[in-house]
Amino acid sequence: MKNSFKPTLSVLALTLATLLVGCAGAPKGPGSYVVLLPSPDGSVGRVLVQSPRGEQMLTQARQGTSLDGSTPPFAVTPEQLQRDFGAAMAAQPALPEQFLLYFEKGGAELTAESKALLPLILEHALARTALDISVIGHSDTQGKAEANEALALTRAGTIAEQLRQLGLQAATLAVESHGERNLLVPTPDETAEPRNRRVEITLR
Amino acid sequence: MKSKTHHWQTLSGLVLIALPLLAQSEAAPSTEPVGYVKTVTGEAWVTTAGQRVNAQPGTPVLLGSQLNTKKAASMGVTFKDNTIMSFGPDTELTVDEFLYAPAQDQLSLSARLLKGSMNYISGIIARLKPEAVSIKTPAGIIGVRGTQFVVTVEDTK
Repeated sequence: MKNSFKPTLSVLALTLATLLVGCAGAPKGPGSYVVLLPSPDGSVGRVLVQSPRGEQMLTQARQGTSLDGSTPPFAVTPEQLQRDFGAAMAAQPALPEQFLLYFEKGGAELTAESKALLPLILEHALARTALDISVIGHSDTQGKAEANEALALTRAGTIAEQLRQLGLQAATLAVESHGERNLLVPTPDETAEPRNRRVEITLR
Repeated sequence: MKSKTHHWQTLSGLVLIALPLLAQSEAAPSTEPVGYVKTVTGEAWVTTAGQRVNAQPGTPVLLGSQLNTKKAASMGVTFKDNTIMSFGPDTELTVDEFLYAPAQDQLSLSARLLKGSMNYISGIIARLKPEAVSIKTPAGIIGVRGTQFVVTVEDTK
């Protein structure tokens, strides 16, 4: 008996929802809108939408707003997310993996601990499809920025060569230096910090 | 003290060698991939400087590349700064700006989503300089403050 009510009710609810959306002028159905999601690490950032018609800031997960910024933020259901963005989300590539290697003071010689990481990096690299690798050298802030950029590049080049010799000759491999401008541990200028003297290997 | 001075002089020499190399790569940005296609289902393609190639895992994406998916297709791209963009069906996106040289403090990422749907995860450019990242759509501009978002653009054509 109760069952016969259900379709009628849901049709009513749908009609109501459609009417409400129509009244508010929010293009919530098929339309242009953006939804804020939690980042892979769980944190939630912010999204700002701007147009001549308005400006909206999204600050909470699964909040949406129309792309012209004319509607106040609205909640988006998991079903709606799946319907409108399921295909795009399913196509998301594997997240990049990062490894940090540290150096003995004053040269391009890896610490023993970091050297022992190389086989693991190789294993992870070979498990990925369409692998591309970047090897980025970083320095601490002691010394001049230009000199640190050169030093970090030397370290990155040494590591890249070791990876190639270990069996990654065929992979797309980019060697770069960020010098002292991309610190792992924020410090003032002219600060010796071993954790900033590193090479970052990113597997994508 | 003396040996330290000498040390820095040697490094300055290295910088002089390295700088022209960097300047060169900036002068010809269109030949350097800014990302690679990692996932594809169905029919998708990448058009760079008028040349259209069918997208497959490993296809390079360059500055100015236009990315397209057909009906029932999808594609995922990972950029050099770890920004991830993946697209649902019937989508078109153009990579307008991609500057990733933190050592020179040159950072920017700008793309135009003309139609379709996108899932976006911000990378290092957004972390180092959030105001340098923008996704343009026909209706409005999306600014990113270190996060993941999804966006859909209705095709008005």
